[in-house]
Amino acid sequence: MIKVKNLTKIYQVYYRQNNLIKDIFFRKYKEILALDRLNFSIKENEFVGFIGPNGAGKTTTMKILSGILYPSGGEINVLGFFPFDKKPEFLKQITFVMGQRNQLIWDLSAMDSFLLNKEIYEIDDALFKKNLSDLTSLLNCSSLINKPIKSLSLGERMKMELIAAFLHDPKIIFLDEPTIGLDIFSQEAIRNFLKTYQKEFRKTIILTSHYLEDVNRLAKRLIIINKGKIIYDGSLKNIINLYSKEKTIRLNLEKQPSKDFFKKYSVINYQFPRLILKVKRDQINQIVSQLSDEIEYVDITVEDEPIEEVIKKIIKNNEIREKYD
Amino acid sequence: MKKIYHNLKIFFLFSRYSLRSTLDHRAGVFFFLFGKILRFSFFFFLIFLVFSKNQLLNGYNFTQAIIVFLTFNLIDTATQMVFREVYRFRPLVVSGEFDFILLKPYPVLLRLLFGGFDFLDLVVLFPLCFLFFYFLFQLPSINLFSLIAFFFLLINAFLISTSFHIIVLAMGILFTTVDHAIMIYRDITSFGRFPFDIYRKSLRDFLTFIIPVGVMFSFPPKALFGLLSFQNTIIAFLISLISLFLSLKIWQFALKKYQVGGN
Repeated sequence: MIKVKNLTKIYQVYYRQNNLIKDIFFRKYKEILALDRLNFSIKENEFVGFIGPNGAGKTTTMKILSGILYPSGGEINVLGFFPFDKKPEFLKQITFVMGQRNQLIWDLSAMDSFLLNKEIYEIDDALFKKNLSDLTSLLNCSSLINKPIKSLSLGERMKMELIAAFLHDPKIIFLDEPTIGLDIFSQEAIRNFLKTYQKEFRKTIILTSHYLEDVNRLAKRLIIINKGKIIYDGSLKNIINLYSKEKTIRLNLEKQPSKDFFKKYSVINYQFPRLILKVKRDQINQIVSQLSDEIEYVDITVEDEPIEEVIKKIIKNNEIREKYD
Repeated sequence: MKKIYHNLKIFFLFSRYSLRSTLDHRAGVFFFLFGKILRFSFFFFLIFLVFSKNQLLNGYNFTQAIIVFLTFNLIDTATQMVFREVYRFRPLVVSGEFDFILLKPYPVLLRLLFGGFDFLDLVVLFPLCFLFFYFLFQLPSINLFSLIAFFFLLINAFLISTSFHIIVLAMGILFTTVDHAIMIYRDITSFGRFPFDIYRKSLRDFLTFIIPVGVMFSFPPKALFGLLSFQNTIIAFLISLISLFLSLKIWQFALKKYQVGGN
């Protein structure tokens, strides 16, 4: 469905020389390698999380895949098209939702924008009605569609954005930080909607988000990108097994442990009765049985390292490696 | 044919929404119309003033001068009415909402050029047409051939204006500047308010062949008065075709250079 080979994007950026005359008449530009020979493919019905720090190249990749930006090099094939050609047959099969931007007409109701999209995407009446009804019921927002966009809250507006973007039944959905700036309830509503929608309608979704909870909850496959390079491409489960060397043990103690105990284990936090320890993954069984002998506790839980920490480590290690290469 | 009908249907929908958005801001409507009437009256008065002391203005009588002025206003108002969306292009680029336009299966240029039809200009256009026809019938001699040539040169002017506006859009992408380019365009076109023969030959040639403002505003009334040679008529059509071709090339170049990375 999506095939990318050696995808490269170079931005030309002007930089200040701190000299007014030079800045006006002898302006200098530098080239920034935004994407460095990316290779990946995405199959039908996949939900892929694209993550990385700011400026890593996530949005640039999605914008090239959707035809907004022209690539500087490489081969791209999305649904059999070269996206930048912007063929209507291609554009009718994709959609793009951007968390901080809206495509809806500010002064008018969402329904007006939906009707405009109906004409632009040439959606027939029956399909339009069906899709609108499916989407409004999934998002629980049928009462909002006739209100002016300017009178809606950010969360409500995002729901309308999603309807406008999904009305034409796209095959590929690009989601660029769809939950950014939303309160936790709206974030949850959007996540639940995306999960149900993908499950029910079997779409290919590519999601970027700075909230790792979004990726954790929704995507099965993860692509981590840093400084324009893919540094991990695989399943979310695998990333923990591959890169997480530690686990966290949380205990609810019955009695205070001895002073020697604290010398023996790597304690992250202790506030009686709560104790948090960090242990190596391969020693987990041994340590748990040791703990049963050494201290008295009411409750014990063993957790994987948080995904955020694992990803931070991968990115940090990659940066260190690059520095010394 | 089906495609034209489809695009027209969307154009009317954009126009309807544009009208509804315009009517939401009543004070804006009042000041816009007031400003237009004031500016038009001022220049009309200026022409009266000039002719109160002279019989002829570089060979043009009062009716001819008025027709030149009205032709300028007709073209200027009609192009503003149709291309109003171009004036709003910069915020679209800066905010990144231009991305959404690029993603729609609807020709990007059509959306950007014709996506914001301005009904307030249409309100101004009606009295202008009335005045134009009133003075047209004051002319002592007009023939059918002159009228046809005038009509085609009006369309030609519209094509040149389209090219100007496409270049402005391309500049919007390349340099995120639209307002200044529009300001320069409007200042240069304002030379067309008066018969071109009142300007020096060097300026006249510059405004005709380098920046084809003369072809836009001066050629149609000249054709109407029977003062335009066949050779110049052909040159006028060639200029519009070349400018349209060049502007489309610049537009395609700008689209490839469009660079907005992050969200």
